[in-house]
Order: sequence, then structure tokens, then C-alpha cells
Amino acid sequence: MKRQVPLALCFLFGIVMILTQFSPHSYSQGVYREVINWNLIINPFALILAVATLIQTHMTRIQRRTEHWQYSLVVFLGMAVMVLIGIPLGPQNSYVEWLYNNLQVPMDATMFSLLAFFIASAAYRAFRARTFEATLLLITALIVMMGNVPVGDLIWNSVLSWLPMEDGASKVRQWILDIPNLASRRGIILGVSLGVISQSIRIILGIERSYLGGGD
Amino acid sequence: MSKTTQCLIIYLVLCLSIGTAFSQGLAPPSNVAAVDTPNDDGSSITIKWDAAPEDSGISGYQILRRIAGSGLEEVGGMLPAGSTTYVDSTIEKGSAYVYIVRAVTETEATVESEETAPVKGTGEWFHMGKIPLFFGMILFSAAILWNLYDARSGKEIFVRRIPGLEAVDEALGRATEMGRSILYVLGLGQVDNVATIASMTILGQVARRTADYETPLLVPCNDPIVLNVVREMVKSSYLDEGRPDAYNEENIFFLTDSQFAYAAGVDGIMIREKPAAIFLQGTFYAESLIMAETGNSIGAIQIAGTDSEHQLPFFIAACDYTLIGEELYAATAYLSKDPMFLGSLKGQDWGKLVIFAAIVLGVILELSGVNWITTLLQRVR
Repeated sequence: MKRQVPLALCFLFGIVMILTQFSPHSYSQGVYREVINWNLIINPFALILAVATLIQTHMTRIQRRTEHWQYSLVVFLGMAVMVLIGIPLGPQNSYVEWLYNNLQVPMDATMFSLLAFFIASAAYRAFRARTFEATLLLITALIVMMGNVPVGDLIWNSVLSWLPMEDGASKVRQWILDIPNLASRRGIILGVSLGVISQSIRIILGIERSYLGGGD
Repeated sequence: MSKTTQCLIIYLVLCLSIGTAFSQGLAPPSNVAAVDTPNDDGSSITIKWDAAPEDSGISGYQILRRIAGSGLEEVGGMLPAGSTTYVDSTIEKGSAYVYIVRAVTETEATVESEETAPVKGTGEWFHMGKIPLFFGMILFSAAILWNLYDARSGKEIFVRRIPGLEAVDEALGRATEMGRSILYVLGLGQVDNVATIASMTILGQVARRTADYETPLLVPCNDPIVLNVVREMVKSSYLDEGRPDAYNEENIFFLTDSQFAYAAGVDGIMIREKPAAIFLQGTFYAESLIMAETGNSIGAIQIAGTDSEHQLPFFIAACDYTLIGEELYAATAYLSKDPMFLGSLKGQDWGKLVIFAAIVLGVILELSGVNWITTLLQRVR
């Protein structure tokens, strides 16, 4: 019974939500919006559980004095400041906005900017020409990189001036992106889409039910 | 001003406008028709008219409408000279509207079409433009179902070797031998994301093995609902393997729902805990490489899988094994060897075969000058 009811609901809502995609009528679109709203309502309740686990995790670290337990104090400090200022004053308050714009945004930007260095180190490993495929990747990457900067065409026009193609770096780059790159991407997207449909059918029919956890 | 004088002035202005229009040879918009917009919820009416000749002097069109018994009102502002259609999305459902299309010249002279017949906006129950999509979905679903139930007969189904999934046992064994933990990252997808559900089912299979090996399994989550579902799933896997004592709820925890804070948190866990095996399965965005490169730097064996095609190159560059696109969805079938799941994989292959055949046929027909298949596919919205 513990599983039958969720499976029946999953089947019912799965079929209804599929049908709403084929029916533009205001009633069916109303059902679609309503179900999406129900989904949103669940989130705040789940958030309470999430915050409870967050507190529990960091409390345990502090109690057991595990390695770097001091950072857990920073978590509680940050949480306390945002809660004590955010709840009484509201999210649009200037203090809350100041904290968001001057703490969270710069920290997010710092993490994001690390990506540039990680791309460099990953590209260095990937482009080492040890195999035929890696060499092909290296040559393609070089052409695309050259095509992305104005000096690429300048080099092409002066070094490869004997070729019957002007501004070749940017043209070859565009061809690589539009033809082989796009073709392979679309192949992946088609496979993913079929996989999603197949997985969805398994879920709707209750064949895939591991996400429900234990119990009968 | 007397009433007679007012009437005289209005008459003169009208004569002047009509005179100007006719002196420029301005014809009223022809074949004006208002129809209920097809395949919508009844909230719009489409007005169509014939294009005016290029030398007609028309600089634009105005759309006028009225409900029976009320005055004319303008909708949509001035439309450019080449317009031949206008969709009025500001109608009241259930009311009948009458439309007039007014042509305007550069000298602001105007000429109006005749009134259209009254028309109401009505919602359709079925989107006729989606018929090919609907039948495609039915056929594909039927193919999957056929193979699902056909697989129950016990027929052996061949599944090609997927190196990323073959390496799961190797990764878990390595972590066990080294006495280190396993880190499983579900990505940023929420519980309504199919890739996240696929990732959770792989996690269920991984948890069965970690239960046997008694290897700690760390799962930092970024979505509260995913956290609760994952806890239930992992607990269930440990129970199924007869090792409920080995299950540690504290190892599955909520980190944050902020994208880069989550990446920073996962990176921190990698650096501190130094897991021997890292699974990055699910939906990822810009944080994919930040996590995969950190995992690479600590020497962990990494198995990634995502349906985000933009992140695949990063995973391929930084991880030992990568499940590309559909392989993520095939993982449950591959790992569990359940005949029903394997049957659905065969159904997927049938779908791929049909799409491949349609592509080849479409290319051949296009090259031969026959374009009905292209037209049919373009109609699908």
C-alpha cells in the first residue's frame, strides 16, 4: 500500500501532464499550471528538512571536533546573520541586499572565475597529442581558437596566402561549429531525448520504482 | 458653433480624406478575414488580408475592432506596410468581434476595409499541429512497451559494453582497498528532472555494492527534495543487502542550493576527505569542470555522466570515464541486468533506427527535389 498509492498517482499525473502538452484548451492548461503550483508548494516543506540536516551535520562536526570544525561555526554565523536580518526586514531590505551583493555575489564570481584556470589545465591534458584522436582534437581546437580572434585571420592571410580562401581561420572555425560539431551535438540530443522518453515510460508505468525507496 | 456648421466641417474633412485617398489611387485592404486562431486556448483571433502592391503608397495598417453594440477601438498600434496578418491576443473569451483593417499612407490619408463577419475565440482540445508528434510518441512508446514485455519471456538481449559502467565495480573495489570513501554527486537537477532520477537509480545500484563492501558513501545534495528521496533510496539499498547497520544517514546531507557554493562545498569535501572514487551523475552546468578538475587533482577515479551536452567535453577531458547522453539512462538497465529495463533499451534502439531512416530518406528526397518530409517535420511545433 505504501508503494501502490504513489505509483497510482505517478501514473495518473504522468498521463495527464503528457496530454496537457497536446491540448491548448484553457482547462487543460489550467490543470498544467495547477500541478506545477502544487510542485512549488512542496519545496518549502522540504527546505525545512534540508535546513535541519544542515544544522545537524555541522553540530555533529563541532561536537566531535572533526578536522576543520571551525568552518562549521562560520556556517552558523552566516546563517544566523541572514536569518536575523532577512526575516524581520524582508529580502528587499537594503542591508540584506548589501550582504547578498557584497558577500554572496563576489564569492560566486570567485568560484566561477576559477573555471578559466581549470579549463586551461583540462585542455592541456586533453590536447596532448599522444593518440590520433587527441591530435585531431588539438588541431581542431587550434583552428577554432584562431578563428575566434582577429589575429587568426591575419596569420592565415599572411602565412597561407597561397590558399584560395581569404580569412580562412574564421571560415573554417564556423564550418567546424556548424557542421561536424552541430551534427554530433544533435546526435547526442536525439539519444538523450529517446532516453528521457524511455525512462519516463518506465517511471509512469511503475517499472522504474527505485526512487520510491523501501517498503511495500 | 451651430450643429449645421459642425456637420458641414465633418463632411468636408471626410470628403478631403476620401478625395486624397482616391487621388493617390489608394484601394482599401482586400479579402480581409478574421478567424479564430487555430490550436490555441481561445484567447486570440487572427486577422488576414491581401498584401497591397508595392507602389500603393501605403505606409502601414491599423486594426480596428468592435464588439457588437459598441464603438470601434484600435488595437496593436501601427503595423508595417508589408503586414498581411495580425493576431489579436487581447480579446475577451466568448465575445464576438468584428474587425476593420485601415490602410494609412505617408500623408496620413486613410482608407478602411469592409467589416469582417463576427468571430469568437474558442479553445481547441487538441493541437492539430502536433498530430505527427503525437503519433510519433505513440509509436515510440508502443515500441518500448512491446520490448519491455517481450523481454519478460526470458530472451537474451545483447547490450553493448559501456566502459563507464564496467568501471563502477573497479572504482568501488579501489575505494574499498584504499580504505577511503566514495563521493556521489547528483548535480544541480531537481527531483522532477529525468536525469536526476536516472542518477538516483544509479546511486541505488552503487549503494548496494557499498553496503556489501562497507565503504562509506558520501552524497552532498543541493536540493532538499532530492536529499529526502536519496536518503530513502540508499537506506532501502542497504536494507535489501541485509546491511542496515552499515547505513549512515549523516553521510547524505544538504549542502546548499546555490550553484557555485555547491561547487565550493563539493570541492572542499574532495580536498578534505580525498575519496578514492567520485561519481558525477546528473545535470550539470558551469560547475562541472570545477568539480571534475578538483577530483582529478586528488587522484580519484572519476565516472561522470550527464545529459547536458555542453558539459560533456569537460567531463571527457577531466574524468576517467564518461557516460555520454543516453548512456546515463541505460545505466540502470546495464547495472541491474533486469530484463524489463533491458527491453526498454531495445525499444530505444528501434526509435533511433526510425530516426536514422527518416534522416537518410529525408536527405535522399531533398536531393531529388521532393520535400514533403521536410515540410511535414517543419509543421511540427
